[in-house]
Amino acid sequence: MNGILNLGYCSLRAWLRERITLFWSLFFPVFLLILLGVIFGGGDGEGYMRFHIGLVNLDRDAEHKAFAGLVEAAFAELAHRAEEYRDQLFILTRPTEGEDAEEFLLAEREALRQGQRAAVVVIPAGFSEEVFRAMHGTPGSLQAEVKVLYGHGDASSELAASIVEQVLTRLERELLIQAELYDPQQEVRVDASWVGTADGAARYIDFLLPGVILMAFLTNGLFGVPGSILYARDQRILRRYWVTPLTVRRYLIGFSLSMLGMCALQLGILWALGRWAFGAQVQLAAPAPVLYLLLSAVTFLALGFLISSVAKTANAGMAIANILNMPLLFLSGIFFPVTGLPVVLQALVYSNPVTYLVDGMRASLGVGTGQVPLWATVTVPLLWIALAAAVAGRRLQWDVDR
Amino acid sequence: MKQFAALVQCELKVFFRDRTTFLITFLFPLVFILIFGFLMGGEDVERVAVGLYLAEDSGARLLEDAVARRAGLQHELYPSRAALEDALQERRVDMGVVWDGSQLILLYDPAMVQRQGVLAQLAAGLASDFNLRRQGLDHVVVVDREHVGLAAAANWFNMVVPAIIAFSILSAAVFAVSGHITAMKERKILDRLTVTPLRPLAFLLAVVFVRLCVVYFSTLITLFTAMAVFKVDFHMDWPRYTLFVAASTVGMMGFGALITLAVRRPSSASNVANVLAMIMMFMSGIFFPVEIMPPFLQFISRAFPLTYIAEGLRFTTGVIDMAPARFFAITAALVGLALLLLPGLARYVVRPERR
Repeated sequence: MNGILNLGYCSLRAWLRERITLFWSLFFPVFLLILLGVIFGGGDGEGYMRFHIGLVNLDRDAEHKAFAGLVEAAFAELAHRAEEYRDQLFILTRPTEGEDAEEFLLAEREALRQGQRAAVVVIPAGFSEEVFRAMHGTPGSLQAEVKVLYGHGDASSELAASIVEQVLTRLERELLIQAELYDPQQEVRVDASWVGTADGAARYIDFLLPGVILMAFLTNGLFGVPGSILYARDQRILRRYWVTPLTVRRYLIGFSLSMLGMCALQLGILWALGRWAFGAQVQLAAPAPVLYLLLSAVTFLALGFLISSVAKTANAGMAIANILNMPLLFLSGIFFPVTGLPVVLQALVYSNPVTYLVDGMRASLGVGTGQVPLWATVTVPLLWIALAAAVAGRRLQWDVDR
Repeated sequence: MKQFAALVQCELKVFFRDRTTFLITFLFPLVFILIFGFLMGGEDVERVAVGLYLAEDSGARLLEDAVARRAGLQHELYPSRAALEDALQERRVDMGVVWDGSQLILLYDPAMVQRQGVLAQLAAGLASDFNLRRQGLDHVVVVDREHVGLAAAANWFNMVVPAIIAFSILSAAVFAVSGHITAMKERKILDRLTVTPLRPLAFLLAVVFVRLCVVYFSTLITLFTAMAVFKVDFHMDWPRYTLFVAASTVGMMGFGALITLAVRRPSSASNVANVLAMIMMFMSGIFFPVEIMPPFLQFISRAFPLTYIAEGLRFTTGVIDMAPARFFAITAALVGLALLLLPGLARYVVRPERR
């Protein structure tokens, strides 16, 4: 037993001494968690929002210009208030005193085209009069238009345009209430509800954290296991083990313990970072998540042995791991839900063990709805373990010359 | 010239025999394109499928009308709330709306975290439309969206394709130096070359020439695959595209030279290149726009060459606009990087290995 523990300790130390292993196993998952947490962890999962928006008022109607002025003031106030609280949603650019509005608009259009603005809000000539008519004339007969220039297909520009629309919708409601045309008491109650057992939308960090933990475990399995075993075999280090009383079985147990130790280290670091830096609330210490964590570590360990048994050299093992890494990660729902795929890719999704592990893990943490049946989240990874063990048992060579 | 042709032939053979390099150059971008193409669907980013369950007749028509009139929505009626919840759980719809005669219940899938914001905005808009209609009103102020820019930018996938090509150029070019040349150095093949009449510059030129051709060919395969499989349109400016792919390739080979010259052991160069490439991939606006990052991350992102290569390729494929002066400045900077650093690589080729 001591020999196994010593071997496990020894392998773990070897992993931790290798800088490149440290990067992929520890630094990269931490980097990814920080990066995605900082960008998308703000609550709504849409990223940090600060848009550069141009606003130009072309309405010169002296009689009714109050409405155009109100729109202008609403945006200015929003930008200014946000500035005060250092949480700017908009950085607003407006024509300076005496600057020609049409020329300003042309310049803003060009700035938008060049990607220097997310959107440009244009209050057209006659806007105030149209609002006035719409409010006091036949309802629905006339509508005042505010033009929003944006870049279709550009995610940040689309988002900025949507927020501009929201601001205008709220402003319109206020205008209608003030004009006593709209009764807020008659508004229908709007409630949000979530399918499944969740009583609210999952926070992005709670969705992300289990995924990044599993990604870190996967990295150990895909790269760490074949890297260590095949390198040790190619360098004839394993051969030296076999002249000692150490058996393959004891070596395997010791090596697997080191892998589990590495997983525990990753789990501790990522959990602490998620909890203390980003306020993650998922309870990883409950029995079901612990089971999935353990099952994940063992499944990925088995995948590592599978790769080691089909690759002839360490370099070939790394190449296979590299090829498998991206599809396993991106076709599993680890970072985003996978939907609407063609049959071929769906087949890959549903034969991917990561899909089941991440689904089961998230369902057990209450941050997912469980896209696959509960039994499958355990059975499919177990089948992969059995397959990997069978192949590795027959094919894995423990010595270069054997 | 004969010597150069022989070198080129030799380098080509080496390239196609090295399965890892071959896969990085040709297969990786294709895998990325296929995965993201199917995930993003090559569809309009605004298209949202809404499931409706109208439990109460009163107001039902108004609600259905409000949903139907909202741009970018497709809707389907469900006979019961349970059926709607099933559809939502199976992700046949993105959100559900239940009307029971007195309240609107908006149903969401808690796992769709990245779309919650968009769906909530959409729901707010729908509720507003419905409330106005119930009081016999219509919108007083409407928003007329006008797309400014090139028509090719139909959705975010259009932006992703050139960015993936940019990443594949970076990988292939950097690893040509930090992987291929350093491996030759490590195996002492370069030392043997130095005792032949072969000039290091001729050897480097052959490597650069082969990579230029192979990378260009690989970018075309990726581009045409995206166009054929996902029906995405690009307004190609072929002369500028060719110029920019060439500049990016040699520029990134210069960047690879920088890594190679900076690290102590030749074998570490590919590890460092791999690490830098991965960090850049996530921070250079490949998968999500740089603009949604916090300012300090945007600042870091601006320091990475991949950000500019992606921008330049988006411009030459007609996805975004860019001032010509900026385009030529980026191109010149990439060529400058190559001219500045590749001579250092020539010295590295003949330099005895540090111990």
